[in-house]
Order: sequence, then structure tokens, then C-alpha cells
Amino acid sequence: MEKFLSSLGVLLILGCDPFVTEFEDSSDAVMYEANSKSDATYDSGTIKVVTWNIRFGIARFPFFGDSCGDDVILDDATIVENMAAIADSLNVIDADIVLLQEVDVSSKRTGYMDQVQYLLDNTNLNYGCYASMWKADFIPSDGIGRIDAGNAILSKYKLTDAERIQLRLRTDQDGLTQYFYLRRNIVKAKIPALTQGSKDFYAVDIHATAFATDDTKKQHIDKYVKTLAEIHSSGDYFVTGGDLNSVPPGSVTDFCLSDMCDGDDYHTDQAEEYHKEGSYFENFDGEPDILGPLYEVYDSAIDSDDANLSIHLTHGPSTSYEMNDIKYDRKLDYLFTNGIWENTSSKTHQAAWELSDHLPVSAVFNVGGE
Amino acid sequence: MKKFIFYFIIASLVFGETKKWDAHSAYLLPQKRWEMGVFQPFRYGYSESIEYSVHPLWFFVMPNFSLKKSQSDFAGFTSASQYKIVYPTPFLNMIAKAGIMGIIAPDFQMPPMLGLSASWLMSKNMAGVDLTLNGGLDLGFAFGDLDTRSTIDIPLVYHRLGVYYNNWGIHTGLDVQKNISEKIDILVDADLRLLPGLKENYSLEHKLLLSWHKSENFRVLTGYKFVMGEYPYGPDMRLLPYIPMAETWVPIIELQWAREKR
Repeated sequence: MEKFLSSLGVLLILGCDPFVTEFEDSSDAVMYEANSKSDATYDSGTIKVVTWNIRFGIARFPFFGDSCGDDVILDDATIVENMAAIADSLNVIDADIVLLQEVDVSSKRTGYMDQVQYLLDNTNLNYGCYASMWKADFIPSDGIGRIDAGNAILSKYKLTDAERIQLRLRTDQDGLTQYFYLRRNIVKAKIPALTQGSKDFYAVDIHATAFATDDTKKQHIDKYVKTLAEIHSSGDYFVTGGDLNSVPPGSVTDFCLSDMCDGDDYHTDQAEEYHKEGSYFENFDGEPDILGPLYEVYDSAIDSDDANLSIHLTHGPSTSYEMNDIKYDRKLDYLFTNGIWENTSSKTHQAAWELSDHLPVSAVFNVGGE
Repeated sequence: MKKFIFYFIIASLVFGETKKWDAHSAYLLPQKRWEMGVFQPFRYGYSESIEYSVHPLWFFVMPNFSLKKSQSDFAGFTSASQYKIVYPTPFLNMIAKAGIMGIIAPDFQMPPMLGLSASWLMSKNMAGVDLTLNGGLDLGFAFGDLDTRSTIDIPLVYHRLGVYYNNWGIHTGLDVQKNISEKIDILVDADLRLLPGLKENYSLEHKLLLSWHKSENFRVLTGYKFVMGEYPYGPDMRLLPYIPMAETWVPIIELQWAREKR
């Protein structure tokens, strides 16, 4: 009987992993290493940083969730082709630190490819840390099935103290939807090789909410600002960035009509929703200026005065090119530091527009600059 | 061929040993007795040598039919053969959709598919314990393009539908049943499903059920099912039934009824 109960206990432990993974406010990120590391020793030169929402390697595939498409699962060969193109782009940019959003590590929709490991094994980056924003055994909707997607920091140099910081869940959803929905996060890691004198060096990556219509985005940006302030007040350096899903101050805030799909109806009394989720940036007071505190306190790779210039736009819905000949029409992706970026080196890599619905932004950290 | 037909006719005349509440074994239901449960199929003892079964709730979206036939005793074991046919296409196309309960991506249209299964069952009472061995072959036919991305990658389901993607599979199992008291018995089983040639080629299922027989016509079962195997995303195991939102396992509760036609 004792043996039977012990066996049953083992089954209970092994067979009862959560169906949907929920996270503590703070937890360890998942660590990665390239299977074959490139020779990279920091020699006090410049530090290049890039942020890129890679849209889990599906490029401009008309995915049902964020464009006017209705497809869910891309074929494996095309995903490998897209990921190879992303790896090639990262190799050309040759960044020391890469902040990624929307990376799949074990998802039905991308053939269960571990994209963090793939990029480490196919670029000159050696170390990585990963934080899930959506992890479930099975999402019973739209054929999504099993999913594990999130943010990742990749680096030429070893990462330590990698932390996943939970962001508040949306409050404009029913309980069932919220249970199966995204759990967005900030991922933060220390890079000891880049320590500057007595100042530790951190990389911080975020993907803020896109579709919330309540004040969730404010909560996310506030938490982000607080996380950065903690590093700054400790006297340490950070480079940070990500997909903030927020437009710069002074930007157009209403993209509902340009994002509208066939059969949609917005801005009319008959419309089911007056604004399209994810296309409207005035859901609460102050949202158009939500990035003000970041611009005011830290150095932005792309100055706020230039942020709305067409050469710095970073995002367009994946089907916008086919529908309206729009490759990108807003800026959602940013890089900041509490140090200094080199003046002329920041770039929005718009040539990569076919590889995702977001474009990479890169900048060079001015070592020793104050 | 003549020998085969002769054997089949002779074999079909063999009267099997009958037993109540023993769907998993080589024993057939007594003639004109039916049994059904909330989750179990409707079974009917058509004759002393043939038993039919069908999942009535599933039937209209996933037509299915099973026949168990008694065979000559083999090596001291009561023996039976079992044949199953299932047409899962209507149900799979119902759940290949956008929105909630879209289990399969709407990108895919499932083609007509036919599943056939043949099993051999052997049962024997040894020292008060009913032992049943079974094994057989599963065939899955798809009459059209079946996209390999349309699989449902969850334990219990993946390998059952995997036969359509692999075209064939093998199953084998062992059931042990013992009466604990006059009204209570315990069933422990283990079933192995193999899909040779597929990367995710095995699934091992085990269940334990305690059943309380209120009468010959009603019983209640409780227990658990454990499944482990290799899946497209790697190895996995799960104790069932599992309630996702509560993140907990709960015991199986199954009610079964029976009657005998006069």
C-alpha cells in the first residue's frame, strides 16, 4: 500500500504541471548558450545594441491575430527560411546585445522551433536569456494549440542575474480569456563583461501590451520606468528597449481606418467597437505622451524630435503592404540608455521590412560618455 | 482462401464466455444485455458470440462502430477478436475553425478519413485475478491531403489520431482486475500505442479504476488515467482528468447502467 501511494504521489507530481503557466512578480529567466560559441571578448570598444520584434519568424504571413489575415500555422520550411534571414540580418548588424520580442521556443504555430537556440547557433551571439509571455499546453482557440512565446536577450557576452519581471494582466477581459491570454513581462540581465569601472551593466527588454483598452499600457510603462530607475539610482548602466506598443509624443494616435480590414467598421455609430484594438493610442488620459518620462530622463537612440520621421517608423500591420502599399506607418520600437548613445550611429533598419511587421532599431553605446 | 472462409464460419459459431461489466476483456456481454456509461460506449450482446458497441454521443459527428467476437480458447485463455471502424472527419472539421474551440487551425480542411482497428483479446482467471492481454493493428486512411500541421498535440489525442498521419500503428495492453469485496472491484491496466516510423512513436497509458456495483444494472467508477509519450514538442506526461483553470487533477467519476432485454 505504501509503495502504491508513493507511486501515485510521483504520478501526481509528474503529471500535474500547470496547463497554463502563471508567473510570480519576479522569477528567473531561462538561460541559453550557443552550441558553438564565437570568440567574443570585450576589449573596451563600443557596444552595439539592437531591438527587434521578430514576430516569431513568420515575417509578413497574414496571421489572424494582428493583421487582416486569417491564417495560424506557417509551414516549417518557410519559418526556417525566415529565421535564417533574421539571423543573417543580425549578423550584418553585428550587435553585442540583441533585445528580441515575440520569440517562439516551443509553439505549434512555428513547428516547435526553439528560436532562441536557433539564433544563438546561427549568429555571432553566444548567450541568451528568455522569459515567456505566453506559455500553455494548449490554447483551445483558432488552432493555436501549444504555445511558448516571449522576450529574449541575446549577447556576445555572458549574461547573469537574469530576471523575468511580470507586468500586470489586462483587466478588460473575462476570466476565461485572461486565463489563456498573454502574461507580458520585462526581462533584465546583467552583463559582467561590460562592467564600466564600478558600474554594473544591464540589458533590459520589454514588450508592452498592444491590445488593451484599459490602463494596462500605463501600468506596463510605469513598471518599466520604475525598473530602469532602480538600476539608474544604483549607479549602474543600462541599455534598454523593446516593443513599447506606444507611439512617440506628437505622433498620429489613430490608425483605425488605415488598419481596417474588409468587413470591419470603425468610427461609426454602428461599429461594434468605435476604435480598433491595437490601432488607437488614446485609450486613457495621457496615453499620447506616455513615453515622455523615458525621453525626459534617458537618452533615446532616436531623438524625440526625429521619432516621427518616416525613416524611423518601425511598424506596419503585416498585411498593410498588400492592402494599402504601406510598409510601415508608426514607431513602436525604441532604445534608451542612462548613458549616452553615439550621436550618428542610431539606425532604423527599414530594409528588413519583409522579415517581420516590426523593424529593428540599433544604436551604439558610447562607453565612458556621460 | 476456402480454408480461411471455413475457419471464419466455424469460428463465428464459437460461443464465447460471457461476463457483465467487462468491456476490456475477451468475455462478451450476455446475449440481449446492454451496458452504457457517461463516457463509455453503448454495448450490446447480440448473441452468445457477438457483441456490438457504439459511442452514441459521438456517433453523429464521428460515426463509429465496434464488434467483438468470441474465438476458440487459446492456451487456456478465453479469446475474442475485436474490430473497430471510425470516421472522424466530420468532427475534426467541426473543430478546425477560428475562435473559441478552434482546436485545429482554420487553415486546414480535413479530408475524408477512415480508421480501422483489429485486436485480439485473451482473458484468464488466475488465482482470483482476471488477467486480459490484448494486441492489434490500427490502420488509418486519408482520402486526400492531410496536412501534418493539423495534428492535435495533446496527450491521449495525438497518438489516437496519429494513425491517420502514419497510416498504421500497433497497440497492446494488459488489464488486471480483482474483486476486493462482493460489490467492489479494482481494475489496473497499461496500454501501449506505437506509431512505427513516426518520430513521436509511442504513448503509454495506464489507468486505475475502483468500481462499486450497486446492482447488476448500475455501477459507479472512480480512479485516474495517466498518459505519457513522445509528442512533436518532446516527451510529456499528464494525469487525467485535469481541470485547467483550477490547475488540478480530479478523480474520474463514471456512472454506468445496464439492462437485459427479455
